[in-house]
Amino acid sequence: MKALILVGGFGTRLRPLTFSMPKPLVDFCNKPMILHQIEALKAAGVTEVVLAINHQQPEVMLNFVKEYEKKLEMKITFSQETEPLGTAGPLALARDKLIDESGKPFFVLNSDVICEYPLLEMIEFHKNHGAEASIMVTKVEDPSKYGVVVMEQESRRVESFVEKPKRFVGDKINAGIYLLNPSVLDRIELRRTSIEKEIFPEIASEKKLYAMVLHGFWMDIGQPRDYLTGQRMYLNYLRKNMPGELLASGDGIIGNVMADETGVIGERCLIGPDVVIGPGCVIEPGVRLFGCTVMRGSRIKEHACVSDSIVGWDSTVGSWARVADITVLGKDVQVADAEVIQMSAKPEIIQKV
Amino acid sequence: MKALILVGGFGTRLRPLTFSMPKPLVDFGNKPMILHQIEALKAAGVTEVVLAINHQQPEVMLNFVEEYEKKLDMKITFSQETEPLGTAGPLALARDKLIDESGKPFFVLNSDVICEYPLLEMIEFHKNHGAEASIMVTKVDDPSKYGVVVMEKEETRVESFVEKPKHFVGDKINAGIYLLNPSVLDKIELRRTSIEKEIFPKIASEKKLYAMVLPGFWMDIGQPKDYLTGQRMYLNYLRKNAPGELLASSGDDVIGNVMADETAVIGERCLIGPDVVIGAGCVIESGVRLFGCTVMRGVRIKEHACVSDSIVGWDSTVGSWARVADVTVLGKDVQVADAEVIQMSAKPEIIQKV
Repeated sequence: MKALILVGGFGTRLRPLTFSMPKPLVDFCNKPMILHQIEALKAAGVTEVVLAINHQQPEVMLNFVKEYEKKLEMKITFSQETEPLGTAGPLALARDKLIDESGKPFFVLNSDVICEYPLLEMIEFHKNHGAEASIMVTKVEDPSKYGVVVMEQESRRVESFVEKPKRFVGDKINAGIYLLNPSVLDRIELRRTSIEKEIFPEIASEKKLYAMVLHGFWMDIGQPRDYLTGQRMYLNYLRKNMPGELLASGDGIIGNVMADETGVIGERCLIGPDVVIGPGCVIEPGVRLFGCTVMRGSRIKEHACVSDSIVGWDSTVGSWARVADITVLGKDVQVADAEVIQMSAKPEIIQKV
Repeated sequence: MKALILVGGFGTRLRPLTFSMPKPLVDFGNKPMILHQIEALKAAGVTEVVLAINHQQPEVMLNFVEEYEKKLDMKITFSQETEPLGTAGPLALARDKLIDESGKPFFVLNSDVICEYPLLEMIEFHKNHGAEASIMVTKVDDPSKYGVVVMEKEETRVESFVEKPKHFVGDKINAGIYLLNPSVLDKIELRRTSIEKEIFPKIASEKKLYAMVLPGFWMDIGQPKDYLTGQRMYLNYLRKNAPGELLASSGDDVIGNVMADETAVIGERCLIGPDVVIGAGCVIESGVRLFGCTVMRGVRIKEHACVSDSIVGWDSTVGSWARVADVTVLGKDVQVADAEVIQMSAKPEIIQKV
């Protein structure tokens, strides 16, 4: 089977991390973001992945592809748009890569999504309804901010899409995971097109679009606050399903903490809940971390406290420093001893000078 | 000799400390602010101090007065204005307390001032010029924000006062310490009067006002940022003149000038200083960082916390890994939660016990 991952966009909201790394390779729980999706696709039987991109990929991306083509035994290629094609146009552009004689459906994934990826169930769901397209939907608390997918209760057939509904029409939104028959490609012109506004409504009106409700967690981790919420959800998911992946609890560990085995944690620390510590990190004695990400190669010095923030690769947080409140430090940032960094008042880019 | 200390005002700028304590009793360098002045007056031979106040003094103030009248063997009384009298009117109100048959001059002090108080030298200075009034002046870097005292060339006689001068006329400002002959009281009516705008200019025009330049440090500590600057200056002064008052820099844990009451407890792996004052009964837990700050009596700073450029009011607690920074003033009995961050610079707020 084949899949396309929509990797367009410039990763603006994850700056300054994306100044140093293309967004798909920004780590999420100690693994490049896109690897979560590629591994999920492999587990569902996908052998070829097309990455729909919008600009030349840096060498680091090409190296990633080479490495994982080998490791996962999959074919990973790029489909590069030269003008904006929206959320559907890239599928038309990659047509030749997605269609083959097998006539099998192909997956389409939005790149910033993290969830349990029940893709085998989705294949089953798609087979059962036998129609043209399946879309994964997820339940949200406040649907009024999103595009709501209105479904028939029993059959799960999609009736319509309502953008930011003023009155309650449903609480399921597009989760950004699709399974499409090749015939869908015949509907998409090679121009800027929206899959939600143009393509899906057309398929729905022909009663050929069905929605599967995603179980478990879902988050679009393309901005810092949601990245951290997604991290909490993901760690919670690991706790329930694969607790061995997490740091064993001990003195100084509270709740869900993931720490690479090459990370070093000093005495008298209090780590967690909801912390990810990358390879080669040094957490000196007396440090407090909660609700945060500490990326590869960072050092958090004695008595410092980092909360609800992301510390980028190779950074140093000084002794007694305080990093809080959805701060994102880029690569190689030095936070001075006793310095206080909070982003809520006025968001700023902080990166290596 | 006698003295009057102008203690008017409501201590607004030192809130929330002044919600729990009258301003003269707020600690500075582990001593009530006003005690610094009263002790300096005693050392200069003053035996009677009049506190010019503007509202009923709370019991804690009365207790203070009782205690120190005994300890210092001085007479301390109140002169209470019932309507605003400005900076000179209170002298007229206290006339009967300041004048006696001795005809000696009396001191007048502004209550928020901290300095070395060279009052014996001022008495000498006053005797030497033999005129009617002496004013202490201090040199500042940026006189344009103050009232500048212009002196006659080569002389110490005061020529005039210029409020917030636009061009440079001098760099000495009123330090808030005066030594006045009783005759000055004849010039002050019992109404709202400014000593700088009305009384001194008149005496100066009669060539009867002289200014002595204050040696050493000076600061008006009536607002938090200046309180902390004054603390730094005061500790520096003690380092030079009374180093026994400060903690010895014991290698790893203490940097620069730190004053800690002997009943305070400091844990391991702390880094304290420079410019820190720790009050009686405080507990500084392990791994704490303090610099440029005041920790008042009975405060607990929990493990790994960091307090800088701030004042922590009596009996408060700063939680583990909390960060108090940037001219924060915590009132009495404030609980800062673990890992909480408190900075005042962006938007000053009153934080006090809920």
